Amino acid sequence: MTLGTMALEDSARVDFTRLRAQRRQRLLEGMEGAGLDAVVLGRSGNVRYASGARQLWRSGTFPFAPVCVVVGDTQRVHLLSVWDEGIPPEISHDDLYGMFWNPAHLLAALAEIPGLDRARRLGTDSLTPFFSQVLPTVAPQAELADASGVLARARATKTPDEIACLTVAAALAEAGLSALEAALVPGVTERELLAVYDECVARMGAPTPPSESVAFATPRRGPVRFRNLARDRSVGDDELVVLSPGALYAGYEGGLARTRPAGATPPPGTADLAARCGRGLDALVGACRSGNTGADLYRAWEATGEPEPSIALAHGMGIGAEAPLIGFGRGAAASLTEGSVLSVQSWVTAEGTGGYLRRELVRLGTEGPELLTRGEGSQP
Amino acid sequence: MTVDDWAAGATIAGLPIPSEPDLVRMRADRHARLQQNLEAQGLDGLVLLGCSSVAYATGADGPGEDSGRAGLFRAVAVVVRGADAPHLYTPYWDAAPPELPADHLHGPLFPDVEDGIGELVEALGQLFSPGSRLGVDEQTHPMLRALGGYEWSEARDVLGPAKLTKTPDEVSCIRTGQRITELAMDATRDTLRPGLRQTDLSGTFLRRVFELGATANAIDPIWQVMTPTRAAGPWTSHGDLAYPTSTTDAILREGDVIWVDAGISHHGYASDYGRTWLTSAKPVPTQRQVSQFERWRTVVDAALAICKPGVTGLELGRAAIAANDGIKPWIEHFYLAHGVGTDSAEMPLIGTDLGEGFDESLVMVPGMVLVFEPVIWDEGAAGYRSEDIVAITDDGWVPLSGTRYDPFEVTR
Repeated sequence: MTLGTMALEDSARVDFTRLRAQRRQRLLEGMEGAGLDAVVLGRSGNVRYASGARQLWRSGTFPFAPVCVVVGDTQRVHLLSVWDEGIPPEISHDDLYGMFWNPAHLLAALAEIPGLDRARRLGTDSLTPFFSQVLPTVAPQAELADASGVLARARATKTPDEIACLTVAAALAEAGLSALEAALVPGVTERELLAVYDECVARMGAPTPPSESVAFATPRRGPVRFRNLARDRSVGDDELVVLSPGALYAGYEGGLARTRPAGATPPPGTADLAARCGRGLDALVGACRSGNTGADLYRAWEATGEPEPSIALAHGMGIGAEAPLIGFGRGAAASLTEGSVLSVQSWVTAEGTGGYLRRELVRLGTEGPELLTRGEGSQP
Repeated sequence: MTVDDWAAGATIAGLPIPSEPDLVRMRADRHARLQQNLEAQGLDGLVLLGCSSVAYATGADGPGEDSGRAGLFRAVAVVVRGADAPHLYTPYWDAAPPELPADHLHGPLFPDVEDGIGELVEALGQLFSPGSRLGVDEQTHPMLRALGGYEWSEARDVLGPAKLTKTPDEVSCIRTGQRITELAMDATRDTLRPGLRQTDLSGTFLRRVFELGATANAIDPIWQVMTPTRAAGPWTSHGDLAYPTSTTDAILREGDVIWVDAGISHHGYASDYGRTWLTSAKPVPTQRQVSQFERWRTVVDAALAICKPGVTGLELGRAAIAANDGIKPWIEHFYLAHGVGTDSAEMPLIGTDLGEGFDESLVMVPGMVLVFEPVIWDEGAAGYRSEDIVAITDDGWVPLSGTRYDPFEVTR
């Protein structure tokens, strides 16, 4: 009954009040544990985690600015917002501060936040030279500290409500996959596939794709490289096409990837390539156990005999892509914790055939890995 | 996509505005501007992490992405004073411009990740000597810990002056992105009728922009239903209107007044579409709504009538206020006009809380791009808002946005 985007009168779906309360509790405990009296957050994912506010979605990253302030003493969450639409009820009008173009006005508004002036350690999730200089003026007794680890740890293990959100997002992504598969015919362009996908998830109520990199054809001849930008070239009927839709629900990202032949006849070697991809994925998913580290994923992949791929083996998923990053030689020491969720992907190539990608969303459960995406051939 | 002779011979610094941008020349010109401003600021280089800054410095075209993904798998740009080309570090090799020298295109750096910082230290160490003065747009905590050997300052001191005016190719690029956006909006408006959801409009729009060749979508499209009175809308800290609020699956009803705002990215450049629509299978504005539109047109025309090189932002603001009978025709937390470029709202900003002194210091020069977005509020009957985009040329301005305001018509 949790799977769906609409509210039901019996409150059968995600309990967002509880979800926000538990997140805020984790954050405040993390702050206390790290000796942070207050945090100033700029990263959209962190702001959403701390506040639960539904703010305007924009593509990409923007330099740090103080969008959300959490004060340990008062347990209050303050937010940059001129209006209260999309703001959860526990954040009162008094907790909102305005949007300013003049930094002096912004600093004056921050200086009025109760308790900030008493902070001795003020954490931020990032900085700029300007804010390094001026943030101390609103918390004169405070030294600036790193809050990014506190946020990452709070976000790493998911509550049951967060898992429900991730599962709804996975279901939306699977809807996108169905739309992509239906539209995949020889002659369609990657950009047309992106257009079809985007319309599909928007009509399901989730118009902010986590990535527009959702479809690319892999070449039949020559070296095969992973591509990210949609092109206008038509898909050939003998090409394997990677379909990798995602979706966001209440900020949480779900996603999966499948590889399909564009035409009726897959290119020669497809069965072997698909089997290699499947072995890689099984090896990675099998290593997604609490107590393991990133190094176990690297070892599991190496044991398949596949070369290290040009994309990540895995990364955390929650309110968007998050730590740990396991891939590009990084993350070997990252510990995999129970209750966390990883996006895991297997990418293999063969000249003369093409490339093959599978990606799944995996929860690290007590008994081992659990797929949140409906896997290739998996039974419900 | 070709847009025929829309610039009609207009020039910027003596150069004609091409009907289609020359992207290679555009990127080379931007690099030259960054070099000039590095020189002027006495900086040795730039380290850029934000999407719009990286797009400006390198021409890298990323797919649209949620901020979490765009942060973890970010592109990083490094500009070295005196060098011929920027360095691009990216997980998206296919997003690099074709003319970027192979030895300037690198694998990704991970400045947000503690065990990724070594490569950034190494990369900068190869390009700069210790103690170099570098501009930066964001400093992650791993960067702050590992890169103390340089003298850091705000990259915007270099980017700001470079981005303030656009080359003819940049203006042409904005125009093409705007045209794609407008065509997609025409298709979307044709579907508007009671019973649709806001997200249905998003679906039609997003599908159409990609079919028309958009590089990426930039913002969750806004279809805000405006209440007849301010008080009936969301609470605001300043008592003025709440706008723009984010889209939901809200069902649109007959007669709903919708303030539309959306933008895509076209080769890194933001478009900005703003219009007022009326929800109906056959929308017919009331006389009061027609008057709102005409008032809006009068305000924009008053500003455009004096808009040319040498005019200040303050003068443009005063012309707009005078045309609205002395009432400031824009929302308290916004502006009469803003610039657009690789950011959807950038300098020049006219009418903000930066104050009249600031507006007076903003002197229009050829190559500036202005998005005029006055708001005519008519308490009891909602109001009218649209956006007209112009580029300042050597002897006036040239429009970058189209002339359709359906279901309203320009009668004068």
